[in-house]
Amino acid sequence: MSEQVEELIRKEYAAGFSTDIISETLPPGLNEDVIRFISGKKNEPDWLLEWRLKAYHAWLEMTEPEWAHVKYDDIDFQKVSFYSAPKSMDDKPKSLAEVDPELLRTYEKLGIPLHEQAALAGVAMDVVFDSVSVVTTFREKLLEVGVIFCSISEAVHKYPELVKKYIGSVVPQKDNYYAALNCAVFSDGSFVYIPKGVRCPMELSTYFRINEQNTGQFERTLIIADEGSHVSYLEGCTAPMRDENQLHAAVVELIALDNAEIKYSTVQNWYPGNEEGKGGIYNFVTKRGVCHTNAKISWTQVETGSAVTWKYPSCILRGDNSVGEFYSVALTNNYQQADTGTKMIHIGKNTRSTIISKGISAGKSSNAYRGLVRMNPGADGARNYTQCDSLLIGDKCGAHTFPYIESRNPSAVIEHEATTSKVSDDQLFLCQQRGLDAEKAVSMIVNGFCREVFKELPMEFAVEAGKLLEVSLEGSVG
Amino acid sequence: MTDFQQQALTIAAQQQSPAWLAPLRSQAANEWRNVIWPTRKTEHWKYTSLASLQKTLLSLVNTSAANTDWKSEVEFIDVNAIRLVFVNGVFDAANSSNFSENIVRFSQANSAQQKIIEQYLGKVVEGSQHLFATLNSAWLDDGILVHVPRNQTLDQPIYVVQVSTLGEQTLSVNQRLLVVLEDSAQAELIEHFVSTSEQQNSVVNALAEIVVGDNAQLQHYRLNLEEENIQHIGAVHVNLLRNARFRGFTLALGSKLKRIDYQINHRGQGAELNLQGVYLPRNNQMVDYHSNVQHWVPHCTTSEVFRGIIADSAQAIFNGRIYIHKDAQKTLAELSNKNLLTSNKAEINTKPELEIYADDVKCAHGATVSQLNDTALYYLQSRGVSRNEAEVMMSFGFINELLQQIAEPAVHHYLLPRLAKLFGRDQTLLEMADE
Repeated sequence: MSEQVEELIRKEYAAGFSTDIISETLPPGLNEDVIRFISGKKNEPDWLLEWRLKAYHAWLEMTEPEWAHVKYDDIDFQKVSFYSAPKSMDDKPKSLAEVDPELLRTYEKLGIPLHEQAALAGVAMDVVFDSVSVVTTFREKLLEVGVIFCSISEAVHKYPELVKKYIGSVVPQKDNYYAALNCAVFSDGSFVYIPKGVRCPMELSTYFRINEQNTGQFERTLIIADEGSHVSYLEGCTAPMRDENQLHAAVVELIALDNAEIKYSTVQNWYPGNEEGKGGIYNFVTKRGVCHTNAKISWTQVETGSAVTWKYPSCILRGDNSVGEFYSVALTNNYQQADTGTKMIHIGKNTRSTIISKGISAGKSSNAYRGLVRMNPGADGARNYTQCDSLLIGDKCGAHTFPYIESRNPSAVIEHEATTSKVSDDQLFLCQQRGLDAEKAVSMIVNGFCREVFKELPMEFAVEAGKLLEVSLEGSVG
Repeated sequence: MTDFQQQALTIAAQQQSPAWLAPLRSQAANEWRNVIWPTRKTEHWKYTSLASLQKTLLSLVNTSAANTDWKSEVEFIDVNAIRLVFVNGVFDAANSSNFSENIVRFSQANSAQQKIIEQYLGKVVEGSQHLFATLNSAWLDDGILVHVPRNQTLDQPIYVVQVSTLGEQTLSVNQRLLVVLEDSAQAELIEHFVSTSEQQNSVVNALAEIVVGDNAQLQHYRLNLEEENIQHIGAVHVNLLRNARFRGFTLALGSKLKRIDYQINHRGQGAELNLQGVYLPRNNQMVDYHSNVQHWVPHCTTSEVFRGIIADSAQAIFNGRIYIHKDAQKTLAELSNKNLLTSNKAEINTKPELEIYADDVKCAHGATVSQLNDTALYYLQSRGVSRNEAEVMMSFGFINELLQQIAEPAVHHYLLPRLAKLFGRDQTLLEMADE
C-alpha cells in the first residue's frame, strides 16, 4: 500500500503548463505611478484613481497579518508585477470564434472546453485570463431579463453609480493588509447586478487563471442582488505550474438586499507547489457579504490548491431574519498550508447561520479552521450551528481548530462542535473486505466525509469537486 | 517598560527573602523587565484588559499589621485537614494547624527540602507567555512546599486559605505553592481564596507548580471566592508523569480582574487529566479561564468540562486549548464548555482550540451559549413553580451537574449553601441539590 501511496503522492499537477501569449506586463514594483498606469490603462474616472491611491497610502501604513497559522517567506512586493493583460486586448472578441486560439487550447488542456461547457451546462462564462476579461458570453441573453454580468472595468464606465455606491461598502479599503493592496492595484474582475425580483436564469461562472510568471493577480468581484432577486455564482480556478510563488489577493463583495439570495460557490485548485513545498500560489482572499432583511448568502468552497491559503468568506447578517451559510472542504497535502474559516456577525434579530467545515490534511501539510461567531446585543433570537470536522491522513500533518465565539445576547443560541480523527481502520477494513482496494476505500470514505458540503454545490461543480478530491488525495493514506 | 512593570520591580527590591532564593528572584526580575506587556492584540489577553492593573498603586504588605477583623466574615471549609492560613499574603500561625513533615514554608526549609525546591521550582512553568508566573518568581519572598515521598498517601488533605481583607493601602500579595508527589504517592490539596465583603483592589498573584510522579494521584481544588475589587491572577501548572492522575475542580466568582490559567503537561504515557470548572460572574465582574493541555507523549487522556453562568453586566472568557504534539498518538481528549447568559448585558467570549500534529487520536470539543430553555421553564411553571423560582432551579441544575461530582464532601457541603445564596435561594433548594 505504501508504494501506491508514494506513487500517487508523486503524481504531477495535471493542470501544470503555461501558455505563450505576448503580454503587456509592467516591470515589477509598486508605487503611485504603477497605480496611475493601471488606472490610466483602463481609462478610469478620477474618483476611482483617488480611491485607489487612498487605499495605497493606507496600505503603506499597514503591516502583514501574522496571526494566521501559516508560515511563508516574506513577500517582496517590489518584485511582483502588478499588471499584465493579453495583448489582443484592444480588439476584444465578441464571440468564442474570435478568441485567441492559444488561449482556448489552454482551457481545453484543463478539460473545460469553453463552448461545449457553455452550451451544455447553460453557463455564461466570464473568463479572466490573467487580469483582463477576454470574453463574455451569454451577455445578451442575460440582459434580456436585466441581469448585468460584465467585467468590473466595464461596469465602472457603464454603471458608475452602482459601482460607486457599492464598491468598498462591504470590505472597506483599510479592512486588512491584502484588501488594501487589492483596492490599490485591482486589475479586473466580475460585476453582477440582478434587478429587483429577478431570478437569474442561469448560473453565472468565472474561471480564473494565473498565467504570467511573477504576476500577482488582484481580482475584484462585486455582486449586487437587488430586492427579491436570486443568483448563483460559480468561481473555479486552476493555474499553470510555476516555480516561484505567485501572489493572489482577491476581494469579493456580495450585497444581498431585502429578500434577495446569493449563492457563491468556489472550487479552488491552484498550483499547490511541488512535493518539496517549492512554488505554489499564495492565496490571500477577502470575501464578505452583507445580508439585509430576510436575505440569504451561502458560501460553498472546495479548497484543494494553493501553497498558502488565507481565506475567510464571511457574512454580516445586518437585516432581521437574514441567513448566512458556510460550507467548506479544505484539503491540504505535501507542504500546503491552509488557514480558512468564516465569520458570522449577527446584528439583526432572528438571524441564523450554519457553518459546516471539513478539513482534510495529508502529507506534511497544515490545515486550520479559524472562525468567528459574534452575537451583537441586538441579535435577539439569533441562532448559530457550527460543525468542524478534521480528518488526518499520515502522522506528519497538522489539523487545528480555532473557533472564536462571542455572545452579548442571552436569547441567542450558539452551538459549536468539533472533532478530529483519522480514517477509521474499521471502515477501511470493511471496504477492503468488500473488494475495494485501499485507495478506492479511502476515496470513498473521504467523499462521504465531505458529502454534507458537496451536496450544496451546483451539480457540475459537485462532480468536479469529487474528482478533484480524488486526484489530490488518492493514496496518501497509509 | 510600563509603569506597572516598574512598580513591581520596586516592590521586589523592597522584599526580604531567603538568600538561597536570590538567584531565581533576580533572574525572574530580569525577565520581567523585558516582558512584552499584553495589549488587546495579544492573543492570550484578547478579551481581558489589564487597564485596571496598570492604574493600581501597589504597596508591600506590612507583616506586623495583620488584623483579625476578618474572622467574623470568613468561614473555613469544615474539613479535617492540615490548614495553612494567609491573611493578605502574611502567614497567620494562630489560625493554622501544625505542619506535618510533608509541608514546609520556603523560609524554614532545611537543606534537603531546599534541594527539592531548587530541583523543581520554576521548572514546571514553561514558555514566555506566562508573564505573571515570571512576576511571581520575581516577588518570591516565601512559598509552601508540599512533598510526598514515594508510596506515601497523605491521610489528611492540605488546605491553603488566602484571605484578602480591607487594609490601609492596595496590596500586592504573592503566593507560591510547590507540590511534588513522588512515584505512587497520593494527596489532596484545597486552595481557597476568599475575601471579606469590603476590600481594596489588591493584586493577588497565586501560582501553583505541581509535579505528579509515576502512578501518583492528586486531587486538587481551587476555589476563587473573592469578589468585587480583588484583582486575582492565578495559575496552576502541572506536570503529569507516567500513569499519573490529576483530578481538578475549580470554581470562580467574578471580580474586577480575575484570570486563572491551567497549564497541564502530559509528560508520561498513560497520564490522565480530569478537570472541571464553574464560573459565575455577576454585576460588573469578570472571570477569565484559560486552560492549555499539552499532550507530549502517547496514550494520555484528557477530559475537561467548564460551565459558566454570566449574569447582569458581567463578562466571562473561556479559552480551552488542547495541543497534541507530533508523537502523542492514541490520545483521547475531550473538552466541553457550556454557557448560560441570564441578562441582556452579559457577555461571553469562548474559544475552544484544538491543535493536532498526530494522526491516530480522537479529539473533540464542543461549546454552547444560550439562555434557559423556554419549554423547560414552561413545564416547571405549568407544575406550579413560579417563573423566578424555575429560573433559579434550572440555573442551579446547570452547574449542579458538576458540583455533584466533587469527590471531597467537605468542599461540596461548603459550596452548596453559598452558591444557593448567590442564586437568591434558600434551604429547600439545597435539599433538592443534596439528593
